[in-house]
Amino acid sequence: MATDRVVERRRIFKQYKEDVKERGKPFYPFAMFHDTVMSLVVVIVIIGLAIVWKYTTPGNHHTTAAGWLGKLYDEPADPGTISFVPRPDWYFYFLFYLLRIFKWPSTVILGTIGIPTICLLLLLAVPFLDVRSERRLLHRPVAIVASVLVIISMGVLTYKGATAKEALGTELLADVPHWAEKQGFSNNPEAVAGAKLFAVAGCLNCHTYLGTGSHNLGAPDLSAEGAKNKGIEFQISHLKCPACVNPGSPMPSFAGLGDANLHKLATFLEASKGPK
Amino acid sequence: MATKPMTRSEQLQQTIVYPLDWLEERSGLVGGVKYFLFRKVPGDTDWWQTLGSATLTAFLVQALTGVILAMYYKPDPTVNPRTNLPVAYQSMQHITNDVFAGWLVRGMHRWGASVFIILMFMHMGRVFLFGAYKYPRELNWILGVLLLASGLAEGFTGYLLPWDQTSYWATVVGVNINGTAPFLGPFLAQFLNGGTAINADTLSRFYSIHMLLIPGAIFALIGLHLYLVIRLGVTSPPWSKEAAGTGPLAPPETNGAGRVGLVSPSARRSAR
Repeated sequence: MATDRVVERRRIFKQYKEDVKERGKPFYPFAMFHDTVMSLVVVIVIIGLAIVWKYTTPGNHHTTAAGWLGKLYDEPADPGTISFVPRPDWYFYFLFYLLRIFKWPSTVILGTIGIPTICLLLLLAVPFLDVRSERRLLHRPVAIVASVLVIISMGVLTYKGATAKEALGTELLADVPHWAEKQGFSNNPEAVAGAKLFAVAGCLNCHTYLGTGSHNLGAPDLSAEGAKNKGIEFQISHLKCPACVNPGSPMPSFAGLGDANLHKLATFLEASKGPK
Repeated sequence: MATKPMTRSEQLQQTIVYPLDWLEERSGLVGGVKYFLFRKVPGDTDWWQTLGSATLTAFLVQALTGVILAMYYKPDPTVNPRTNLPVAYQSMQHITNDVFAGWLVRGMHRWGASVFIILMFMHMGRVFLFGAYKYPRELNWILGVLLLASGLAEGFTGYLLPWDQTSYWATVVGVNINGTAPFLGPFLAQFLNGGTAINADTLSRFYSIHMLLIPGAIFALIGLHLYLVIRLGVTSPPWSKEAAGTGPLAPPETNGAGRVGLVSPSARRSAR
């Protein structure tokens, strides 16, 4: 059976070589003409994008305002920042959104490593999974279904990643009194200060808290984090180096906030025993 | 030497042909280029098969604009005390706002990356649609997947270089995600960061990977990829009536009834 297949595909390739020799056309000028036109189109599109990027940006110089294609640049990188949005370039949105589907800590590794690795291995294996010589589309139902599913899922994930809501610290700050009331830490100034920090430090770009925030990268809901009674010391060391305490955590270090701020955040987290 | 004086056109021919012959005799390059240009491709080759060369063009745009950007960019995260801005960020701003046509070169590099990645996916889709990954082109498909992964790695490492908030925090999270991989993950994250966390050395490390390591690998992979394309040939569209691999075409006057060749018409139909 397998030898039949080998004989058959060798025959077809031999026939291919003969056919090309007999009734093919020379690469130059025929195919090369198409290639040249297409390459010119590519270069023009790239230059066009660069021009649109620059000239739709409001103002002329030194601005972080966004044009049609987004900002020319953002504020300078600041490791000690208290507000950030971890957002990759658009062609990684499908991975970015994939991480929302999985829950920390049990299955998030599937989204970060498992599925991308499996996809890459499957992609490498395509010629060995599909060993028939058949090339006509209507005779390759599995290939058609697989490619349609891949295109739809990549498209949906990219779209969802692109439209994923970002939490704005200034708007979230207004929720702090409401949180303090629900959690009952209104008379604990350290916890309230921590809550304000929590609202503006970008925590809610990944975590959710009492219904606000955007669930990203598999980060857990923190509404009842204090109910686990892990202690302030634990919370501080976790904020300083999440992966040291929780192996495999993609959360960035917040050591840049400084010990005083970390203590406030930890107090707030420990005071969050769940809504009453 | 009693030779006839050369005519003008003979002289001209001599000046063109002599250096080419000299080169050919010592390298075989002229024959190679001739073979590349005048090799036969299937008669039904058309716009579908231009996506690969378009991807190559996008990569060459990236290489060229990248070389120009490297002349001005400084991969240094230390803060300049005079301006209170990181040196890398400042050099990126300088390219965008002050250098002649710097905005254009940076814009082409920034958006050329997206075009390059879109074209890689489209080219891969075309190859999949045509079944062009099948025997004997399996290796070329694998080279293509490696090129795709390298291209995405270029996107990841290049994103950090402007050293602004967006690029910094996306990279922090991206490296952390790399670090979650079993076995190799922690080593990969440590290699990328140049330490246990993002630090002063991380930026120059990313820069080196972005402009030396991966582009070198991509150039080598493209070389192998093209070698296999030239050796194995371009695939006909599977729906083409005259697809190469189906045997001699029917002479038009016999209307298909008297095909020549060893394969019977029915067998030929299934054998593409």
